[in-house]
Amino acid sequence: MAPPPTPLSPSELSYLHTSLSLHPPIRPDARSPTSFRPLVAETDLLPAANGSARLCFADGTEAIAGVKAEVEKVQGLGNVRWYDNMDAEMGGIEESERDGEQEGERGKGVGEDKWIEVTVDMPGQRDDDAMVVFLAQMIHEGLVADGGLKNRLVINARWHWRLYIDILLLSPPHTYPLPLLSLTTHLALLSTRLPAPISNHDEDPLFNDDWDASSPLYPSSDTYPDAKTPPQSSPARPPITLLVISVGDNVFFDASREELAVADAVLAVTVGAPSSPSTGLNLLAVRTIDPPSRLSASAAEVGRAGAEIDAEGGKEGVWKASKGGMKRRVLARMVQMCVEGGGVGEEVLGGLGEFS
Amino acid sequence: MPFTITLPAPLSPLHHNEPSDSPSLDSDGDTDMPPPSKRPKLSTRSIVTPGETVTDDPQWMRGHGTYTHPTSPQILSSVAGTLLKTNKLLSIRPLRARYTPEIGDLVVGRVVEVQTKRWKVDLSAPLLAHLPLSAINLPGGILRKRTSTDELAIRTFFGEGDLLVAEVQSVYQDGAASLHTRSLKYGKLRNGVFLSVSGTGGGGGGVVRSRRQVWTVQTANGGGEVDVVLGVNGYIWICKHVGGELVEGKGGRHAGAGMGVNNLEEKVGEGMYENRNESIGEETRWEIARLSGCVRALVEGGCRVDEEMVMRAYEASVEDEGVGGEEGEEGGEYLGGERGRRVVREALRAVHAARE
Repeated sequence: MAPPPTPLSPSELSYLHTSLSLHPPIRPDARSPTSFRPLVAETDLLPAANGSARLCFADGTEAIAGVKAEVEKVQGLGNVRWYDNMDAEMGGIEESERDGEQEGERGKGVGEDKWIEVTVDMPGQRDDDAMVVFLAQMIHEGLVADGGLKNRLVINARWHWRLYIDILLLSPPHTYPLPLLSLTTHLALLSTRLPAPISNHDEDPLFNDDWDASSPLYPSSDTYPDAKTPPQSSPARPPITLLVISVGDNVFFDASREELAVADAVLAVTVGAPSSPSTGLNLLAVRTIDPPSRLSASAAEVGRAGAEIDAEGGKEGVWKASKGGMKRRVLARMVQMCVEGGGVGEEVLGGLGEFS
Repeated sequence: MPFTITLPAPLSPLHHNEPSDSPSLDSDGDTDMPPPSKRPKLSTRSIVTPGETVTDDPQWMRGHGTYTHPTSPQILSSVAGTLLKTNKLLSIRPLRARYTPEIGDLVVGRVVEVQTKRWKVDLSAPLLAHLPLSAINLPGGILRKRTSTDELAIRTFFGEGDLLVAEVQSVYQDGAASLHTRSLKYGKLRNGVFLSVSGTGGGGGGVVRSRRQVWTVQTANGGGEVDVVLGVNGYIWICKHVGGELVEGKGGRHAGAGMGVNNLEEKVGEGMYENRNESIGEETRWEIARLSGCVRALVEGGCRVDEEMVMRAYEASVEDEGVGGEEGEEGGEYLGGERGRRVVREALRAVHAARE
């Protein structure tokens, strides 16, 4: 296992923190606060998976995600489903309604959370390592919170797809790998194709052998930022998780390792595409992440000092880990920048959508 | 800078080594070989991987980067790299390698561990380097003997994570280096940012040995003077130039030319091991960010990193900013992606023009 990364020197931390708290902030690589470094990606690289993607961040971290689909019988709830179908068959109007819905959507019905399984594999980490489990859970949480994905997995009343999403982090985690894993999963899901069914609605499913006839899990007809699509369609993009950091009053996206080291607060924001365009994105989940600065030596000193409160900022040219929580105003700004129309979330979703 | 995703660059077609019928290897013997030249020939068109059989012809001698099995005459590669032939000696030049310390190298290192009488310093070499307490300038005079008080106060000089610039004093049998900072040019690093690129040893870009490695840049846009320290090991420090006239008790580095042995003692004040940064103006911070962007762009472009290249790239980026501004490009001064490549092209052209 790789040794824990060496901490930055106090003068480096001070330099970074001061630069990042200026107005306008100066990032170490002179990016603007919301800009992302260029990514390198490819999709459909695993021949045996339904969908796959490889994504490389500019800092050299790299991940591969593969999506495999399996047909499974619905567990339990058989009777309820059966009655549902009876109702639908007896009422002619309802049936026609249902057909109408199926034109636009893959199927009717509500999916279950456990139909999606996410596994994260990191080099040098045990499978039951807290970080690995936590990352997988966070990605899973985002995918099911959207609701769109699990409903797409319904084949008919008795059968459904089960998705296995396996994410492999190829490089040692220099930075917190959550956004990388999330964006890779997003691309893999966008490239996922399911075989075309040749059976009727409630029969046991049979599928077409021809891979060319398969249909994408996320049809690209209603491409996301295209405002001309009628707003009737349900979310057409898997959700993404962005890592947002704040230093002072400034908010940054796509933070490098150095920037993360001096962050006052780190937030993982999961956003999903909205059901209607031009209203901004749906906020699906927000989680705070313990910033690395709290683990540093200066933070430990602060902790020991306890009630001692020194003047704001302390000595000039010396950095101290921030005490206490984050300001509500900053928290609101961080979330706002992710979800607002024309914000960073839309930009990222648009960029990912254009790529695949 | 908009959110961009690019496809991975296609690999240039690689020819695998076929020792038996490769014309370059010439297994027939000396008869049809050209007259042996003293200069090593580097075959650029083949890459060998670890464990690959380079040749099974017993006429070749094995050099660096190769190994043999005692039972067979095969020569196998122990690294990934290109084949290098010097007369009958086969060696592999690695594509990427860690830094190998040599006596007299100017290096930038980071303290990893503090022991009772020495520090362990990370140089991105295979082994950590030692910096004995006896090899640093102690406060209160360069010629003072170290005492047990100094041993107790070892953390006041360097703590974990601190960056320092030093010289390799000797190399142990196992390849570990022993450093010293017994010159006013060396010591603790403050007021700037740290960059890590590939050092000497590997192919491709990186810091080049035996050129000027410490110089001061007069930056544009009112940034003032900025120091660049290129460690041979690929660690780079870019900081605000502090000094000229030395203030008593402030940093011992960058002493003026009129420094003699006699007034040396008072110059090595307590301030030498201070962690506090000077106050650094915004303009200076922007120019430091630009310089580090130039270095990153050079490394990404596979260029060597030395004074000439860095300065040319810096000039090119200053000019390029004007061009980019007119074209309405946003994203500040981020030197990544297409813009970085443009700057590197420009710098290379300037270097060639200067040669002719």
